[in-house]
Amino acid sequence: MKVFVFHLMPYANLDMGYHDKYRAAWVVLPNSYFDPKIGHELYNRYLDELELSAELGFDGVSVNEHHQNAYGLMPSPIVMAAALSRRTKNAKIAILGSAFCLREHPLTLAEEHAMLDCITGGRLITGMVRGIGAEYYSMGSNPAFSHARFQEAHDLVVQAWTKPGPFAFEGKFYHFEYVNVWPRPYQQPHPPIWAPSTGSTETIEWAAHPSRRYVYLQAYSPVTSVVRYLNYYREAAQRMFGYTASSEQIGWSAPMYVAETDEQARKEAGPHIEALFNRLLRLPFEMMFPPGYLSAKSLANMRSHKRSVTGQEHTVHSLIEAGIFLCGSPDTVRKQLTEAHRLLGFQNLLCLLQFATLPRDLTEKNIRLFAREVLPALQQLTDKEYVGMEPTAPVAAGPDMATVRVSAAE
Amino acid sequence: MPTDSHIDVRGCKLRVQRDGRGEPLLFLHGAQGLSGWEPALAALAERFDVIAPDHPGFGRSDIADGVDDVGDLALFYFDVLKMLGVPKVHMVGHCLGGWIALEMAIRSTAPFKTLTLLASAGLRLEGVPRADMFICGQDELVQLLFAGNDADGWKQAWHASPEWEDIYDRNRAAAARFSWQPRLCNPKLARWLHRIDVPTHIVWGENDKVIPPAYAAALKDRIDGATMTLIPACGHLPHVEQPGQVAAVASQFIQRVAP
Repeated sequence: MKVFVFHLMPYANLDMGYHDKYRAAWVVLPNSYFDPKIGHELYNRYLDELELSAELGFDGVSVNEHHQNAYGLMPSPIVMAAALSRRTKNAKIAILGSAFCLREHPLTLAEEHAMLDCITGGRLITGMVRGIGAEYYSMGSNPAFSHARFQEAHDLVVQAWTKPGPFAFEGKFYHFEYVNVWPRPYQQPHPPIWAPSTGSTETIEWAAHPSRRYVYLQAYSPVTSVVRYLNYYREAAQRMFGYTASSEQIGWSAPMYVAETDEQARKEAGPHIEALFNRLLRLPFEMMFPPGYLSAKSLANMRSHKRSVTGQEHTVHSLIEAGIFLCGSPDTVRKQLTEAHRLLGFQNLLCLLQFATLPRDLTEKNIRLFAREVLPALQQLTDKEYVGMEPTAPVAAGPDMATVRVSAAE
Repeated sequence: MPTDSHIDVRGCKLRVQRDGRGEPLLFLHGAQGLSGWEPALAALAERFDVIAPDHPGFGRSDIADGVDDVGDLALFYFDVLKMLGVPKVHMVGHCLGGWIALEMAIRSTAPFKTLTLLASAGLRLEGVPRADMFICGQDELVQLLFAGNDADGWKQAWHASPEWEDIYDRNRAAAARFSWQPRLCNPKLARWLHRIDVPTHIVWGENDKVIPPAYAAALKDRIDGATMTLIPACGHLPHVEQPGQVAAVASQFIQRVAP
């Protein structure tokens, strides 16, 4: 198994009292809450944390893209990836993901990713996402065309990387007379593409398509949903497309925390993981799902579900019980992951080892302990330990809502 | 009683309600769809043959392939008029529907007898922001839409339909499709408003919090000979909040300019 350390680079010093005045840490939270001097310290600290992870033997480090919020301070993950590219030697650098379709000009990203792939000698992994709903408010892109734009931006970028230029690209959203990207990517035909998602059948089927076979990465979900969605990828490959998906095509991403004992881990991580889910990920329904962002099918599915999660506050215990947060002694977490791997066979794992307000010392302790006590066992896991897929009930369409706290006022 | 049917507009099944007798009046609804407009329809139907479609993607109409922005909708409605066999109509547009009517009128006023704009979207006025209906939850939206008169009644009536959630979501998605960015306006529209050469009546709620009444005045300034009526104690849905008054002033204007 390949194990990555993933960072969101949150604004850890956010005054959580914001919550009384503003309904989300996204879109409407004034940027006067951001202190650039603190930002300077945080960015450098977070880069240190990822560089340390690479030194300690993780297979890769990972960043992602979010706009205009306190949850993740990387509107341009390429900046962080570039900073990491010269300070790491062998680790993969995974941008999971980048919202190509939010941009008016996805070719600039195609160029930048190709540059990075050349600089690192082919250590880049490119993730493609639509961006979360809130970003359609922040970036202005029309959510009603988001699926179609995503597909087209993807096609444009892959063609720009693989098709000899110059050529003309004439799409519905993007029009270029001369597509001729210099540099070409180092990896041929192009950097690996991953599709991170919180669970959408459309995305899973799209990623599993035989012309793509992209790695599907399940993020932020109760373990029961992880089971459903990862198995659904294998099922879609088998039933819809007639091939057997490899375990390298699937991955899981979750926040994790290890400490000397289970009890200590809960105590140390508790307030910080709760801040992540109850404060930084707090989004009104309309912000999370702007009109047209979900297909009618997914939305209808969600509507019944949304009432049941309205207003729930997560606790460290509920997050652990649901399997959204992996937390405990190294032994506990190693066993959990080994068992999950036995059942699901994923060959990629993204560990969010810093979250929300988790301070520097605890983050470093978490990274070091995980690297020493958990990582080696995980890296040994292969398909031999995987029991193989057992057929499950068909998965319902629509993203997983259980992890996002939709505020009660809506 | 209004008739309720679907017509096929080059492959798009468009739902059309029709009621009353007299000269044809095409009512183009706003971003919130047709919910709650029945009293205004009944009042207008006393004098006109009122034709009220659900725009493509709204209510019970199909999405129309390739109809992606308000300019497309304008051309789409020229087709609809042709199909319905009504060469000339009194055009009444609310919010997004007003914007569609404006986009039609700057292209051609040939099928227009008169133009009535109710709290119309379409224009961009620097320094006078429009509210964002999309980011609101339902309760907040109701607050935004009404000046205060019977917002709860509207919400109750609206929630009474078993389909309301489905329609609400469809309307929001369709409204986003046509008006997400630039939000509720075409920055180039003002450049062409001089082309409107039919009697035009601008009707606005004095307390419109979505598109403030400054927009009414701006439209009046830019459309030759336009008349403006402000309705007191009224928000962004004048035909819902003050249906009798709106139907009366609309009819009186039409009577006066096109007897």
